[in-house]
Amino acid sequence: MRDARPWTYAALFGALWGALEATLGTAVYLGKLPLRGTIMGLAGLLCLVCLRRLQPRPGVCLLAGVVAAFLKVFTLGGFYPGPIIGIAVQALAVEIAMTGSGGRPVGAALGGFIALASNPLQRLGMMWVVSGSEAVGSYLRLLEEAAAAVGLGGLRPAVIVGGIVAATGLVGAAGGMWAWWVAGRVMRRLGERR
Amino acid sequence: MNRIAALMLVVATGVVLFGSPLWAVWSLMVAVAAAWYLDPPAVRAGLRVGIVLAVVFAASVTAAVVAWAEGPERGLTVGGTVLLRLLVLTVGGMVLVRRVDAEALLRLTTRLGFERLGLVLGLSLNALPRIAEASSDVWTAYSMRSRGLAGRLRRLPGLGEVMLAHTARVAEEAAAAASLRGHSALTRPRIELPLPVRVVIVTGPTDGGKTKTVLALAERLQHEGVPVAGFVQIGERESESKVGFRLRDIATGEEAELAKLGKRSEGEFGTRFRFLDEGFQLGREALARVRSGGIVIVDELGPVELRGAGHMPAVQRAVNTPGIAGAVVVVRRPLVPALLAALEASDAVVVDVEEVGGGSVEAIIDALGAGR
Repeated sequence: MRDARPWTYAALFGALWGALEATLGTAVYLGKLPLRGTIMGLAGLLCLVCLRRLQPRPGVCLLAGVVAAFLKVFTLGGFYPGPIIGIAVQALAVEIAMTGSGGRPVGAALGGFIALASNPLQRLGMMWVVSGSEAVGSYLRLLEEAAAAVGLGGLRPAVIVGGIVAATGLVGAAGGMWAWWVAGRVMRRLGERR
Repeated sequence: MNRIAALMLVVATGVVLFGSPLWAVWSLMVAVAAAWYLDPPAVRAGLRVGIVLAVVFAASVTAAVVAWAEGPERGLTVGGTVLLRLLVLTVGGMVLVRRVDAEALLRLTTRLGFERLGLVLGLSLNALPRIAEASSDVWTAYSMRSRGLAGRLRRLPGLGEVMLAHTARVAEEAAAAASLRGHSALTRPRIELPLPVRVVIVTGPTDGGKTKTVLALAERLQHEGVPVAGFVQIGERESESKVGFRLRDIATGEEAELAKLGKRSEGEFGTRFRFLDEGFQLGREALARVRSGGIVIVDELGPVELRGAGHMPAVQRAVNTPGIAGAVVVVRRPLVPALLAALEASDAVVVDVEEVGGGSVEAIIDALGAGR
């Protein structure tokens, strides 16, 4: 007996994720909506966790990431490396966390934490690559001023960045648990006609 | 001529991305004309009202943000450029996606030694129109069913759930198609279900009479002196909804409770039902009654069994009994491809009770007879 489902599931869920990135993703990035990385991160997380629960085979999340990135290249967003790197990091994070946890909910939470926590770091990294260390320095000063404006003056930039990373990561962890819950509902929906 | 149109589309896309805003207007016109020449349905699909509105929205937000930061004139220029870029890329993207030859992609990746990756990428490209169509249907249903802002927000999570479930169903179909077409690069050994005998797959719509058909079949075979072993699962209903299943041993008529509707959190195997040991025990006993020359009847195999759990171990033992004459397996329509993909036997016969109608029992007997 042979089973092609892990690969076709990866293709289809990657296509769904890629289609979301190509449509909703392009709209939110071009629209400069706030929390756009978090919104698209949660959408990707949902696809990945659901895929991994339906087909608990190591490697499917990575393959779905490759498919989503491949489709993203065909859109306007494909001309910017940020979202493509984001897709790759997210797929890798969920893959490692889910495989490491043996496909348990804690893996979804951990994967969500890493995937979304990497967003601010990735943005800083891209800024350093594209615009140089001066731009990163200016951005960090801006963060210091913003922190001072909300009564958190005196904090070092590293602490502020760490705080942002932790907060985004916690949102990602909650998103991972939410994705796990939705994936359970999808599984029930698929088994409903039993 | 097609090559010239394709070249014009590529050049227009390049100009709109890297040229000045003034050139972008001309590029849009050239791109739409070239795309229309190449593939009119792709242009119609790319420039649907919903898509154009989304593009206009994205461009407007960009214009507003830039106008706030750098002044109205700059905002208008950037917003206009984004609008034109998105329209050209949408039209170009639709033409590209519809014209990408998955087979050519597969040949290329196979030559490079990445056949599986080529199959997966080709499949994802081919699936995009189905995903878009499904999204449109799901959105229409959501709009029709949701009243008011509160209602829409309440139903919003369900929207994603339906899309994910739909995607999984398309993946099941694609897996079956891949297996039947012999795309061995996509397949790998999983559970074992070797059926050395003729197998008849009975299928049909939900509540379409599959169980009644196999019960009538069993009665007919027993009347003709053919030993029959196996079970049927009978749904229990309360006010139109299924609340459980009972399992009946075909040979003895003995029944046991197999599944009960539980709370959402109590569902097992990805279903809403709690499964009971006595049902599985009776299933094992029913299947163990199979004898040489007899027919095994299994009603039904579900997603749980296709993952190797539930009744599957007992079914595997039963079909490997030496000398059995055949097996009749009931599955729901969406699972037929998955079951076919799972079977080693390539000559399985599918009998759809809705299509065959009143002659289903005869059709199954004919199919079983052909294998003797």
